[in-house]
Amino acid sequence: MDFLNHYLLSILIFVPTIGAALVLFAKGRDAVRWTALGTTIVTFILSLMLFITFNWKTSGPYAYAQYDAKTGEYVANSGVVQMVQSCDWIPAFNVQYKLGIDGLSFPLIVLTTFVCVLACIASWNIEKQLKGYMALFLFLETGILGVFLSLDFFLFYVFFEISLLPMYFLIGIWGGPRKEYAAIKFFLYTLVGSVGLLIVLIGTYLYSRGLPGLPNGTFDLVKLASTDVQKGLMAAGMAGVAKTFFILAMLGFLIKVPAVPVHTWLPDAHVEAPTPMSMILAAILLKLGGYGIFRIAYPLFPDAGKDLWWLFALVGVVSIIYGALCAMAQTDFKKLVAYSSVSHMGFVVLGAAMMTEASINGAQFMMIAHGVTSAMMFFVVGVVYDRAHHRELGRMGGMATTMPVYTGFSIVACFSNLGLPGLAGFIGEVMVLLGSFQAAKPDSVIMIATNGHAYPYIMTLAVIACFGVVLTAGYMLWTVQRVFFGPEKAEYKSFPEVDQRELTVLTPLAIMAVLLGILPTAFFFAYTSTTVAAMFKLLG
Amino acid sequence: MLRKRMMILSLASIGLPFIPGWTELRPFIAELTLIGTIVAVLLTPFFVKKSNTACGLVALAGLVIALLSLLYVQYVSPDAGLQATKFAPMLVADPIAFLWKILLLVFVIGVIMMWFATSAADMHEGDGPEFFVLLLGATTGMALMASANNLLMILLAVELASFPSYVLAGFRKTNKTDAEASLKYVLFGAATSAVMTYGMSLLYGLYGTLNLSELASKMPATTGGTALLVVAVFGLVVGIGFKIAAVPFHFWCPDVFEGAAIEVTTFLSVASKGAALVLLLRVVNNIADAYHFNGMNGELLSAPAVIAIVLGVMGALSATLGNTAAFVQNNIKRLLAYSSIAHAGYMLCAMSLLLKAGSVTDPTSISARTILFYLAVYLFMNLGAFTVAGLVFKQTGIETLEGYAGLSRRNPVLAVCMAAFMFSFVGLPPLAGFFAKFNILMALIQTGGWWWLLVVVILINTVLSLYFYMRVVRSMFLLNSDQPAFMGNPLGVAVSLMCAIMLVVMFVGYSPLNKLTENYGRMHFTAVPSVNAAAPAVSMAK
Repeated sequence: MDFLNHYLLSILIFVPTIGAALVLFAKGRDAVRWTALGTTIVTFILSLMLFITFNWKTSGPYAYAQYDAKTGEYVANSGVVQMVQSCDWIPAFNVQYKLGIDGLSFPLIVLTTFVCVLACIASWNIEKQLKGYMALFLFLETGILGVFLSLDFFLFYVFFEISLLPMYFLIGIWGGPRKEYAAIKFFLYTLVGSVGLLIVLIGTYLYSRGLPGLPNGTFDLVKLASTDVQKGLMAAGMAGVAKTFFILAMLGFLIKVPAVPVHTWLPDAHVEAPTPMSMILAAILLKLGGYGIFRIAYPLFPDAGKDLWWLFALVGVVSIIYGALCAMAQTDFKKLVAYSSVSHMGFVVLGAAMMTEASINGAQFMMIAHGVTSAMMFFVVGVVYDRAHHRELGRMGGMATTMPVYTGFSIVACFSNLGLPGLAGFIGEVMVLLGSFQAAKPDSVIMIATNGHAYPYIMTLAVIACFGVVLTAGYMLWTVQRVFFGPEKAEYKSFPEVDQRELTVLTPLAIMAVLLGILPTAFFFAYTSTTVAAMFKLLG
Repeated sequence: MLRKRMMILSLASIGLPFIPGWTELRPFIAELTLIGTIVAVLLTPFFVKKSNTACGLVALAGLVIALLSLLYVQYVSPDAGLQATKFAPMLVADPIAFLWKILLLVFVIGVIMMWFATSAADMHEGDGPEFFVLLLGATTGMALMASANNLLMILLAVELASFPSYVLAGFRKTNKTDAEASLKYVLFGAATSAVMTYGMSLLYGLYGTLNLSELASKMPATTGGTALLVVAVFGLVVGIGFKIAAVPFHFWCPDVFEGAAIEVTTFLSVASKGAALVLLLRVVNNIADAYHFNGMNGELLSAPAVIAIVLGVMGALSATLGNTAAFVQNNIKRLLAYSSIAHAGYMLCAMSLLLKAGSVTDPTSISARTILFYLAVYLFMNLGAFTVAGLVFKQTGIETLEGYAGLSRRNPVLAVCMAAFMFSFVGLPPLAGFFAKFNILMALIQTGGWWWLLVVVILINTVLSLYFYMRVVRSMFLLNSDQPAFMGNPLGVAVSLMCAIMLVVMFVGYSPLNKLTENYGRMHFTAVPSVNAAAPAVSMAK
């Protein structure tokens, strides 16, 4: 137990790397595939072991939980961040290799390992340079888990960048016809974002130097967010640049999310990426941005967040509406799903910007729900592409009669995506919208910060956001109609029904979509609500 | 433990009775060994028939001995360099010079190994002795450049480094591009040397001394004559800027890099640039010290402010021009030439803040540490990248990016190494290039004020540079080619693999390396403040 508590997180991060090394030495295609699959499954099981060690019931401040060696338990109400493991990396700048887990990262980690297993199965029919593909894929998993688990800003940044490299190759080598363009575009956009983040990283650190108790400064994200350090930072002069830093940090994360107007890399990347990588990209990689917003941007610069709520609420609402409208206009099935990602991630940005407990909870849920749903959607697109070798919506139709099982799964995915009650997508959207309207209540964070002047703007933005739901329903239903219904087409008559492998991918995703929709508390909020409450206290 | 110490002490005493002035000469053991090696290389053809390889081995052995003896001397007397020796006014052997010499020797060893791996077979039999004499001669000059503390000595060291370089650039006598490269190099070098000498003469006229520390200490007291002083210092900057290949003295760089043989290009790209940067660092640091590292407090037209602005603007221009010009390059050597201009630009940016570092406890170390760290990382990146380029050229005979198409399939190890170098050039983790850039940004942000402009310039350049470095990666991984797979010379592959591994090691082990550069980022006067104004030291000019 103690061992798990101390080392599980590190093991979790580096098991995929070891797997990648093993893959490179594996002989034969099947050996490579099974090694990779084995690695992802082991990682998934390890992440499930977090259910044993992670104590989500403890409610407390956003701080490190104290560990009682005598009882082998965490002291109740001492803090929500647990399983902390740290050692010095660069003493000169007080950079630490510091890992930990709380309600914010826990669901995302399980989502990552879960989707990676399915993406690995989805990769079974990759033929070209299989070894390199699997190695890069596993290396990518390391990078992503590293981002979610690191509690040191510096370490976070390093993993954030590391997760870039493999994706470039995965899109660039195994992608579609315009893969080179898509890959470099993805890389350039994200690098612009991380370059801004680098300024925030260094700037925040320099202000933290010389604060009481921190002669050497700190990159510790939990410490930097604590009330004392925040006060010290502001007194040390960060108040003057907090807004700039906040915008730079948000820019870095919004590019990753992606939000309008910095979203244009996403449709290209998605259309060109191979199906499993689209799954990873939509389900997990975008969440790095969302996670960064909640872990770094708002806790470190809460006041700037209050002042600039309108800017990012606007960005969120524009993303929701513009993304949905763009999706409606697409003729390429995959591009449509890509734009629907932009629209859905807009809810995450809106939820963060509105700064109410409900909206933040909703945004968190949205990330997981979107993770499950979008992975499923992209796989659905992949299945039909494997058979038809095109993704033109106009040429499709009548799949329901030739592939009934496939159609059933697809409709679950589509309905979850459009937010049908009872499926995952619904809860997130409703919570975010509910939270947005709550922000107009006189005791909300934003209303207090703006002396109530924000009321009409909040209401306007929230009402506009509601229309996003309608638009989503519109394009999703239209898509279902165009692809699955209508008269049976001769060219699709010979299509085989989904095979065993494809079912293996679709079934767990469908089950999760339903479970998250019916039992959101048991499958999500139970683990996160205490952390969100603790973080919310920092904002207020 | 005690026995070990005794042994070392007894070893140390071996040299004492036989060599006059050993304590003074000791810190310059590397240069002395190099001179000895030059003689040995010249004598080698008398004993061996096929002398190319033999000369290479002798040079390699000499360099290794120089490296080991330098390390040994440092180990025996860690502070020897900081004590004023009889050489002090002329040459100093302070920690920063020591660390640069170590880097230089390691690098030249790498260059010779690379020569064995790439060009050794093609070299005309009998050219070996000349080649290595020139190489070692230039190396000696570059080692001295880091130690020079006197205007005359600076001139001598720069010319000692330059003349062999001119010849090396045109060493393949039958090659037209070589001749063109060499001629361009000579013409540019001669002109800038002339300007530098003129600047030095003005400085001597102004202050009546050639000693750098003395000169600098008299600067703040100067009333009037600021314009003359600026012209004089500018002359110095022109001469050194030429060696750095900083904009606007960079025109020779791409042509020479393209024309010269690849091992010569490699040698020039790091050794010549690095030596000049360390030299410039010493000059600027002396001046900054005289103004108590706070030259920017006065009006904008004071001498230190002008120097800071010139350095900063030169750095920003070099970085921007290097990165934008590299966009359109299709020849890997030209591409790396522009990349080297850009990297020199980053380092110049770090140097410019010496004149504003007043509030920091140890101002020299911020700049020096940053630049030394950058050089150490840059050394491995460049050596590795050029080695891969050399191996690919040897295999395909193509220097353009087309030669790299499909390299990931033809030789995966080289392709992965090259990708690592490119990512490190951009400054992406987990490679040491990230920390090199991080250090500079940290130092600039810490200084704040106008230096924010440089931060922005560097960050924009980072994004720009990604594009053209990725063009190489794209060729290697994304494009297909029907060219056959190849093994690559094992030594060459080993060198590039070592460089790539070093980059990762330096990333993970940033902390000790940073400590090292911090310890060795000290200069002579920091420990011996008496050298300047207080007691007029012995000036060789008298």
